[in-house]
Amino acid sequence: MPYVLDCEIAANDEAAPAHRRMRVCAPQIAREAQPGQFAMLQTADGYAPFLRRPMSFERVLPEAVAFLYKVEGEGTRLLAAMRPGQTISVHGPLGKGFSIDSTISRHILVAGGIGVAPLPALADAVTRACRRPPDVVIGARTKRFLLCGDVFRSMGCEVYLATDDGSVGEKGVASHVLERLAPNPDTQIYACGPMPMMRATAQIAARSGAACQVSLEAQMACGDGACLGCVVESIFENEGEKMVRVCTDGPVFDAQHIDWNAHNFAYDR
Amino acid sequence: MKPNLEVRIGALRMKNPVTVASGTFGYGQEYARYFDIAALGAVTIKSITLKPRAGNAPPRLVETPAGILNAIGLQNVGLDAYLAEKAPFLRKHGATIIANIYGSQPDEYCELARRLEEAHAADAIEANLSCPNVHDAATARGPALVAQIPERVAEYSRALRAATKLPLLVKLTPNVADIREPALAAQEAGADGVSLINTLMGMAIDPETRRPRLANVIGGLSGPAIRPVALKMVWDASRVLQIPVIGMGGICTAPDAIQFLLAGANAVAVGSMSFRQPDAALQIVRGLADYLEHHQIPDVNDLVGAIAT
Repeated sequence: MPYVLDCEIAANDEAAPAHRRMRVCAPQIAREAQPGQFAMLQTADGYAPFLRRPMSFERVLPEAVAFLYKVEGEGTRLLAAMRPGQTISVHGPLGKGFSIDSTISRHILVAGGIGVAPLPALADAVTRACRRPPDVVIGARTKRFLLCGDVFRSMGCEVYLATDDGSVGEKGVASHVLERLAPNPDTQIYACGPMPMMRATAQIAARSGAACQVSLEAQMACGDGACLGCVVESIFENEGEKMVRVCTDGPVFDAQHIDWNAHNFAYDR
Repeated sequence: MKPNLEVRIGALRMKNPVTVASGTFGYGQEYARYFDIAALGAVTIKSITLKPRAGNAPPRLVETPAGILNAIGLQNVGLDAYLAEKAPFLRKHGATIIANIYGSQPDEYCELARRLEEAHAADAIEANLSCPNVHDAATARGPALVAQIPERVAEYSRALRAATKLPLLVKLTPNVADIREPALAAQEAGADGVSLINTLMGMAIDPETRRPRLANVIGGLSGPAIRPVALKMVWDASRVLQIPVIGMGGICTAPDAIQFLLAGANAVAVGSMSFRQPDAALQIVRGLADYLEHHQIPDVNDLVGAIAT
């Protein structure tokens, strides 16, 4: 059940240039939060911005949850300015998270840019469910924007890196590295990142017979399935099912259920 | 003594003057996990149409200063699914239901109203004559909204009046030169009340990509940004009408709601604020009761139109 709670900020530190990690004390939310779920964070007491900001849980700790975010707009700039000891209104946990099938032998997490945000919590859960840490592919524009490498390594994950400029790891995007890892029908892929990368990942999964879950992002007003603002097109043809809500039908979807061709990449930033 | 909060909109009795704006509260289910939705004066549902609709292509939503621009395009489950799944939930929870309906012809509105009445799936009908998002960008400048043409408001309202005995509300658009004209047209055609206002048409462009931020190009603006405009329209309309007005547009708190009552609204609807604070409407009911007690006002109806000018 989602809560709307005023929570104390325990930490809010830089994770990379223009990227921060906020940890908030939220025992009730932490007890129920699943990897891949998210919370809506209120960034201002007044109405600028008016809406909360959806943030997936980077970590679910015993008494706290952590969010990893990129500072790029008005809302995240206000979040970045918040200090430990201040309170923030947290609405969550919301949405449907990742599902973990421990009968599958190989689990690969694929992240692009800030899309890495929900994956540490997932790596944690996969490790517990499968008694073996997953493999992780992290892509970023350049070395200094690579996030969470040390977090995954400390969990015992095998970590593969890719950068657009080749400043560390393989030159290229995360999905190229995934291809080299040769997923097969006994592989579960989990991906979060820019839409082109997720589409490429979905295609690799489809070709190789691997299962693939993707965590999507969208402009969102409510997080509760009411506003219908955050929809994406699914493969379902029926008028009543065609548009699926990122907030409540997702944010995690079976990649096969998303109509990747319908997505208008021109609107992605 | 506890002040009276009950209001009447025609034959519709609301236990308090607070409902929610259509499209901001789903079908009640979405918010029932936060509070008892029967504690509201009524639940106004997302517009339903005879057949399910997928709505517009995304992106459909963009935030603007103190507001939200949306172009959802009436995505909804359709009448059959509403009757089978949504109405029973609302009834089980004891909610008073204002069913917002949309059609492309008067006949469609009438069929919706008749079937809702037969199935006891509504306590009042709110005819959405003012959705700004059902035409695509190419035709948006073509056919005007029904609510922009008083003669058509009268035509649709008359047809609906003949089709149903349920209390009839007509939801009007603020995108007109003079709100009194469509409001009077609705009254003369037999409506029991008018809902003011739907969203203000607007748009936003991304200067980097030069693209409109909404795939539909234009959308409807809601949220606190539009509150003064809404308030003024409620004031304008209520002074010439004999029928009640449900006021809405950027109401976030009890003091906001009280402004609308003072301007002449008999009831209010909370819209976008539910997105930010799921129990906003309930908090406004409580805040209103506290205000009446604090000011020793015995009846909420005493506030209606009580602006000191």
